[in-house]
Amino acid sequence: MVENARSLNLVASAVLFLGMLYILGPLYLTLTTSTQSYEFMLRNGLVWYPGDQFFTNVIRIFSETRIPQQMANSLVVAVGDALVTCVLSFISAYALVFFPVRWGSVVFASILATIMLPLDIRVITTYQVASNVLSPINALLDIIGLNGLIAGVFGAPVVLEWSVLNTHFGLIAPLVAHGTGTFLFRQFFLVLPKDLVKAARMDGAGPIRFLFDILLPLSRPSFAALFVLTFLGGWTQYLWPLVASSTPNMQTAVVGLARLAPDMEGVMPDFPLIMAGAVVVSIIPLVMIAVLQRYLVRGLVLSEK
Amino acid sequence: MSSPTQALFANRWLPVLLVTPLALLIVIFFYVPIFQAFYWSFFLERPFGGGSIFVGWANFARVLSDPQFWEAGKRTVIFMVIGSSLAVLVPLILAVAADRQLRLSQPARNVLVWPKGVAGASIGVIFAFIFNPFVGILSPLNQWFPGIWAPGIDGTDAFIMLIAAHVWSGIPFNFVILLAGLQSLPRTMHQAAAMDGAGAWRRIFDVQLPLIMPQVFLTLVLEFTESVTSAFALVDTMTKGGPGGSTNLLVYKIYVDGFNGYDLSGAATQTAILMVFVVLLTGAQFAFLGRRINYER
Repeated sequence: MVENARSLNLVASAVLFLGMLYILGPLYLTLTTSTQSYEFMLRNGLVWYPGDQFFTNVIRIFSETRIPQQMANSLVVAVGDALVTCVLSFISAYALVFFPVRWGSVVFASILATIMLPLDIRVITTYQVASNVLSPINALLDIIGLNGLIAGVFGAPVVLEWSVLNTHFGLIAPLVAHGTGTFLFRQFFLVLPKDLVKAARMDGAGPIRFLFDILLPLSRPSFAALFVLTFLGGWTQYLWPLVASSTPNMQTAVVGLARLAPDMEGVMPDFPLIMAGAVVVSIIPLVMIAVLQRYLVRGLVLSEK
Repeated sequence: MSSPTQALFANRWLPVLLVTPLALLIVIFFYVPIFQAFYWSFFLERPFGGGSIFVGWANFARVLSDPQFWEAGKRTVIFMVIGSSLAVLVPLILAVAADRQLRLSQPARNVLVWPKGVAGASIGVIFAFIFNPFVGILSPLNQWFPGIWAPGIDGTDAFIMLIAAHVWSGIPFNFVILLAGLQSLPRTMHQAAAMDGAGAWRRIFDVQLPLIMPQVFLTLVLEFTESVTSAFALVDTMTKGGPGGSTNLLVYKIYVDGFNGYDLSGAATQTAILMVFVVLLTGAQFAFLGRRINYER
């Protein structure tokens, strides 16, 4: 369309420039500060030009802090969360769309309800449950009176205990208990041509074969989108890994980074070191966004529809 | 949900088997914790273990008579309203700008998604440094006007810092959704409006914005929940609820009461109240705003 919209275009360009400045400014300052020494920062405060201490600071992060071990934890949590979410969401959406499941809509609604109350809001009692995953079974045994019976016969009631706190499984499992993935795959399955199943059945493909040979290859882009989305979600989690890990060696990198600042009043924290830590901790997800941008955007758009 | 697919596989146990793993995780780590929050809000844990005793509404009475709870609740609502309005408005303006064919549009679309990779806690640590009153970006201001910027003492300054970090983190999702909404509008709408003599500015307000109201509404709903819950990482890394409780949001208070104060019943009661609040809020938004927007389209 040819028209004169110069004033608007000028304003729009200025808006975009300011927006990018807002995003990049803090990241740039993180980078420049991570290249200074502690003494330099104390003397000059925040500066816009880089210094020469970057590698010294990064080496200190790797040798003096637990960030390397915690990065490994973050990787396990993020990859585990993403993989398990992809697989479980895929098969449950498959079951809900391609089979006449009784109460299917109720099941789907109960899965979707997880989006409304995120983990951070119910962290206290999720922690309680994680400290003994089998406690619901104990409660059930108590309620139906079976435990009284068992106590009468064997002399003691059954008390099952299994804590998943401070384990990788415990860090991952509550993150997986989320409905976005199922929602995303369901939306994708519903827009597939309806003749797909008919044709597959005519060719003699059963449900399992249909799943692996037809649905799986078609779903590859959705998998990539969901994987990127959940990986970033797992990597950037804070509250759950903070409470679910009791030793620094089980904490994730983001938690470790937040613990680098001393809690003492009146002491200027070693900001160059902390900023170097922030660079190290954020580099994997940022590279991932830069490279897999396409899939991230698709994932964000799909998770909304 | 009766699926529109007519040809279904008639298998009875396979679908149950396929849904079970996820359903089991969701029951254990979603529904049981929610149930427990309500359970503990009516029970008091006996000191030194040994089960629980039913106390009726006593926990609620205790929480609701605590001025700190109301203070934290008020802060939460203020943060929610200001934080989420800005966290939708800023990406909305950026999306309208990025929707135009400009030289900066492409790089902006790329860069504005980056915060998705920076954890809330990381950006909290970074902003705490950038806005540090002694070495941060505003420290020169303090040399000219001593004490004008002091997030460690002044609650309003700390709150501004919190909002700035919250909006920063919220840009990617809202920007992508709103931009996708703008790009899905048919070009013919623009052309028709232009033929009728609507200039480029006018079309933003009379064509684009009304038509992407569903997306604006959706981001706002999600943002409300998000701002209530995800502020924890920011508060914990930037202000620890201070100074003087001015940034002590409910989600942070619950954590402190539960994990530092060992007040399980009190924390569970507040959790229950907060959950009811979030669910009612989401429901209300869908009931009122949602219907009106559909009507206007």
